[in-house]
Amino acid sequence: MPDFLLQTVFNASYAASYMALIAVGLVLIFGVMGVINFAHGELYMAGAYAIVFFYVWSGLPFFVAVALGLVFVGCLGILMELTLFRPLRTNPLGGLIASIGFLLILQTLAVLGFGLRNQNVPPVSQGRITVGGAFLTYERLYVIIATIGLLTALYFFLRKSKFGWALRACAQDREAAALQGISINQTARYAMFIGAALAGVAGAMTAPLVAPSPYMGHSVIVTAFIIIIVGGIGSLEGAVVAAVLYAFVHTFVTTFYDGVIANIVGLLLMLAVLVVKPQGLFGVRERA
Amino acid sequence: MLLEVRNLHVHYNKVAALKGVSLQVPSGGIVTIIGANGAGKSTTLRSISGLTKPSKGEIHFDGQRIDNLPAEKIVARGIAHVPEGRRIFPDLTVEENLRIGAFLRTDKAKIESDIEDIFQRFPRLKERRTQWARTLSGGEQQMVAIGRALMSGPKLLLLDEPSMGLSPVMVQEMARIVSDIAERGVPVVLVEQNAGLALKLASYAYVLEIGTVAVEGKASDLQTNDHVRRAYLGA
Repeated sequence: MPDFLLQTVFNASYAASYMALIAVGLVLIFGVMGVINFAHGELYMAGAYAIVFFYVWSGLPFFVAVALGLVFVGCLGILMELTLFRPLRTNPLGGLIASIGFLLILQTLAVLGFGLRNQNVPPVSQGRITVGGAFLTYERLYVIIATIGLLTALYFFLRKSKFGWALRACAQDREAAALQGISINQTARYAMFIGAALAGVAGAMTAPLVAPSPYMGHSVIVTAFIIIIVGGIGSLEGAVVAAVLYAFVHTFVTTFYDGVIANIVGLLLMLAVLVVKPQGLFGVRERA
Repeated sequence: MLLEVRNLHVHYNKVAALKGVSLQVPSGGIVTIIGANGAGKSTTLRSISGLTKPSKGEIHFDGQRIDNLPAEKIVARGIAHVPEGRRIFPDLTVEENLRIGAFLRTDKAKIESDIEDIFQRFPRLKERRTQWARTLSGGEQQMVAIGRALMSGPKLLLLDEPSMGLSPVMVQEMARIVSDIAERGVPVVLVEQNAGLALKLASYAYVLEIGTVAVEGKASDLQTNDHVRRAYLGA
């Protein structure tokens, strides 16, 4: 394989990884809560700012800062559940509107606390893997490894543990889940913690690569919506596959044409999938 | 009495679905609730299991009032509800569906032996234990729903139209399963549109008509009751 092709594959793998983390979290929240979380991009942003605070300002080791970011953003998710989604449980549209409000609050807090300008996060490592003329920096490799690790852990949690079954049961039929003794509130807390924490980790791990800004969530949420629509809303495996598909298409088009064309192609991809398979690649049916 | 429902009223928005239903379930055997579509049979079961909140009236189970508890707390007291339309989890495997019925239980060894017991009662489910529940036939899905309910180790089983949408052969199979559950010591409240079948299985019956109990009595007496015969048994 020519070097520039391999290089683009590396770049696409990195993009696919963090987008998969974000999209899977979004799907998990939608599945269990029935709410489209518009603030999901800002949870990603909060994860990046956790790195600014814990790693850059406080001088903690990077991976400790990532772990703290995971917990911090996960707790933000629980806060959203307790204050916004629970009172609006019977009103998914209300949840969506409330999440837009929460998005604005998070952005404003980031501006107040850190200022408007982009944050400079010093590199975590200068190392890189070189294959021929192509290279993959350790920083990007860490993102790929973290994604594979977290998504594998999530898979086993959902398939092998009682609480994982409860989460899936709630996503499929909330009322029938209650009849099994599953508490909706408890399950919603789990889902919000996990979903938010995944976005937070994506933000934290990519912080050294993107120069965090208060508005970095915007472009990410649009991409995440495209991905979950292509994958089939409500399907976790669909979100992963679609993240890989989208990232590869987008990265290749960006490399060989330009970024604007890549965005257009990304939307066309969504359009094409919706025309051929309106429920998305892995969507089987509508879920409440 | 194991279960006592007293003067139950339920409103959906402003429409009254139940207008003062009272019924009693002893701690053994099958009690049936029959009636036409919209008479309030399902609403009665949903109120007992906590899915629908009554606007008036009381429900007592095992000596304690339960009508103010959420559904997940009522399961913990020992009431398992197989809802109308089965409501199995389509994207869980057969075995996951059964195991989630034991969600609140912590007695691991007993859960394993209960799973084996369910598989003995329903050998078809054992063959299909790793399949997605959505791929099962209607009768098999009904078995999963009943098995899932039994996995909670209930003191009382509420069954909402287990024969709905099943083939005649499968309906007979269901009848055998329901009798068997009661014989093994779990009392059953059976809601059915198939009144003839229900009256054969049950020892006591309530006939619901537009939200009230129109007739009640021994199932054998109701089989010969003129009103019941004309309205529900097609005689």
